[in-house]
Amino acid sequence: MTVIPRAAAENPGLPEYVIREPSGFYHSLNPATKLCLAALEVVVAFAIPGWLGPGIVLAALLATAAMSRTLRGLMFIGIAALPLVVSIMVVNLFILPGATDPIARLGPLAPTWSGLWFGLMTTARLLAFSSAVALAYLTTPIDDLLADMSRRGLGRRGVFVVGAAVQMVPRTLERVREITDAQRARGMDTEGRIWRRARGLVPLAGPVVFGALAEVEERTMALEARGFTAPGRQTLLRIPADRGIDRVLRRLALAAIAAIAILRITGRMG
Amino acid sequence: MTAPVATPSIDLETVVFDYPDGTRALNEVSLRIEPGESVAIVGQNGSGKSTLVRQLNGLLRPTSGRVLLGGLDIRPTHVARLAGLVGLAFQNPDRQLFAGRISTEVGFGPRNLGIRGPALDERVRAALDDVGLAEEAATNPYDLGYSRRKLLALASILAMRTPVLILDEPTTGQDARGVARVRGVVARAAAEGRTVIAISHDMEFAAENFGRIVVMRGGAVIADGSPADVLAVDQAALLASTGLVPTFAARTGARMGLGRTATAASFVAALDSTGVRGGR
Amino acid sequence: MAIELGSVQYRYAGSSTAALGPIDLRVDPGRVVGVAGANESGKTTLCLVATGLAPSVIGGRLDGVVRVDGVDAATLKPHELAQRCGMLFQHASTQLSHTTATVFEEIAFGPCNLGLAVDEVIERVWWALRVAGIEPLAARDPVRLSGGQGQLVALASVLALRPRYLILDEPTSELDPAGTRLVTEALTRIVRETGAGILLVEHKTDVLAQIADKVVVLDRGAVALSGPGAEILADPRLAGLGVESPASVRLERAVRASGLEWPAADGAEVIE
Repeated sequence: MTVIPRAAAENPGLPEYVIREPSGFYHSLNPATKLCLAALEVVVAFAIPGWLGPGIVLAALLATAAMSRTLRGLMFIGIAALPLVVSIMVVNLFILPGATDPIARLGPLAPTWSGLWFGLMTTARLLAFSSAVALAYLTTPIDDLLADMSRRGLGRRGVFVVGAAVQMVPRTLERVREITDAQRARGMDTEGRIWRRARGLVPLAGPVVFGALAEVEERTMALEARGFTAPGRQTLLRIPADRGIDRVLRRLALAAIAAIAILRITGRMG
Repeated sequence: MTAPVATPSIDLETVVFDYPDGTRALNEVSLRIEPGESVAIVGQNGSGKSTLVRQLNGLLRPTSGRVLLGGLDIRPTHVARLAGLVGLAFQNPDRQLFAGRISTEVGFGPRNLGIRGPALDERVRAALDDVGLAEEAATNPYDLGYSRRKLLALASILAMRTPVLILDEPTTGQDARGVARVRGVVARAAAEGRTVIAISHDMEFAAENFGRIVVMRGGAVIADGSPADVLAVDQAALLASTGLVPTFAARTGARMGLGRTATAASFVAALDSTGVRGGR
Repeated sequence: MAIELGSVQYRYAGSSTAALGPIDLRVDPGRVVGVAGANESGKTTLCLVATGLAPSVIGGRLDGVVRVDGVDAATLKPHELAQRCGMLFQHASTQLSHTTATVFEEIAFGPCNLGLAVDEVIERVWWALRVAGIEPLAARDPVRLSGGQGQLVALASVLALRPRYLILDEPTSELDPAGTRLVTEALTRIVRETGAGILLVEHKTDVLAQIADKVVVLDRGAVALSGPGAEILADPRLAGLGVESPASVRLERAVRASGLEWPAADGAEVIE
């Protein structure tokens, strides 16, 4: 089993901005490796009972994030998760079924210690899960992921669909903004009463859908004009590295997941 | 037929506009447009033309500075209300088409303004007539080709009968007949006392149909005057700085020593005055 | 060696009337054939038929024969046609793959689809960048370009397949004057350096005046006028066919209409 260096390494004709060699240990791991590690983290956070699971994961994630300089990104994700965290805490604090150890009585509401405990633990699991996913996302550019999937055999259509879908979100948002502007300029109310704004649904959704459909034919032709349906394998300009350490890490991660699964199923763990 | 509401004057007072990412799209632009003027705004992509006209109907609000319609600051007014005063026909018609029938599409604007019944039907009919789509009232908008969809989008703004009419690139993609239609619309609106503002890449179209040309570059107005003054050959360097070239009539007139002749009419007049008369 | 349309008629899928034809047309390498006509006169259909996209990709029925360098286009697969006839559309953004991070990779998209060796891909990309005149844009994000730049990227991505013929459907209609000039200059350079044959549909007859050797005017799917560029563009029948004459011709006409004579003494050319 040979190690795969970047295709770029053998082709000095490729400029730097195309090669986009990642820096840092974690960044330069193969995308599949990072996905396996993220999967392991999620499994550990949920399958290992008590505070141990989420605790290990959060500690490992923070360390890795610090090492790979993605702490800021993780902080943003944490902040984005705040509303969800708050609602989890509120729900558990006040409405945990079977809890009988109130902290205080605030009129009809009675927050409980068990609720607090359970809420915090659920929050920890949620943060562990979202941080694991976030770390993989922050350290893996989408092109690297697609290029790796291509190398492993995902057809060009699959790659195209995923790549275009990812790009589609900002494009659709942009388009919705333009359409909203056009309809507002025709007197559609977006700042007034809610029931008037509700009438704006068709004039907003219509152009988004029709516009997208109208584009499909031209986009299809443009793809054909670039040989998209040519037979055979697509040339890959850049392939993310897949080194010995990647294989080792992936095997360890998958083995650990299997072990944890077996322990849980046979009841040896909580 | 005159405009239903008195045409307001338009004032931009040192308007600055910054996009959320920090790019400055308008840099202290001050401009006054009198009621009933016909103005063409020209300049390269990114010079701020679209940003400027969107200040006039409230789609964009100044970061600093004021926009006045008829002497009143428009900041407190909703876009939906301004739409009855300032109509803006967008460059890409597919950004607004949603109805199954052309008549419904054209009726959307006036309907939002509270027009109903026979008055609504009359407006739709008149607008479709103006752009040459009267035969297609029951057709699905997407059954029209792109250029006729553009005319449809124009009709849907015309039906709103706003005293100020803004056209964003009305002639791109149009054939000769489409351009003639747009010319007719501009002339008719001007005759009715409406203010007409058009953004255009077509220098000949701008020179021939508008009495005033505003040239933009980098978010600022760099020239403002009649076609003869602005699209002149001695302004070539200024125009070139924003990717533009004087009209063919201007260039030919300059080469022949006829002075400033940005339009065909002024060229002919200048030629006539030199006493050159050919045998007929 | 040419694109030859012989008695071609084309009906879109689900339509009973012919959108194009019967029509005969020829595009030779190294020559630019300009096509003008009113909207819906069949110009876009002509482009789709000449590149083989109609009927191979969009269906419909084609009668008559389209030959590319002697080979019947109906016998060629879309990717084979793409390497003979490159097509460029009106809107720059719908032609991007939206899956690449840099202009370099966007242009490489076509050659990579064909499975060419990496060295070959790289060489073609640099060549296409140079001919289209956009080497400085190689590192840029394709989505963040201006209209003119986007069209040049689309042009370069099609060039990278090294087609002998280029078919362009109103490539400058959405562009500002500067963008139009860039595209026009790029086309001139392409013809000069590669000897490609170009079929160019344009409303802007000034552009056709600059670069078209021959101009064909379509009317309701058939050829109404055909001949040398300068001659056709000065033809008074253009207005009746829904085509706006070039500015130079319009000016001369305005002068003559006022009873004056166009002063030829200063040596000004009617068509610049």
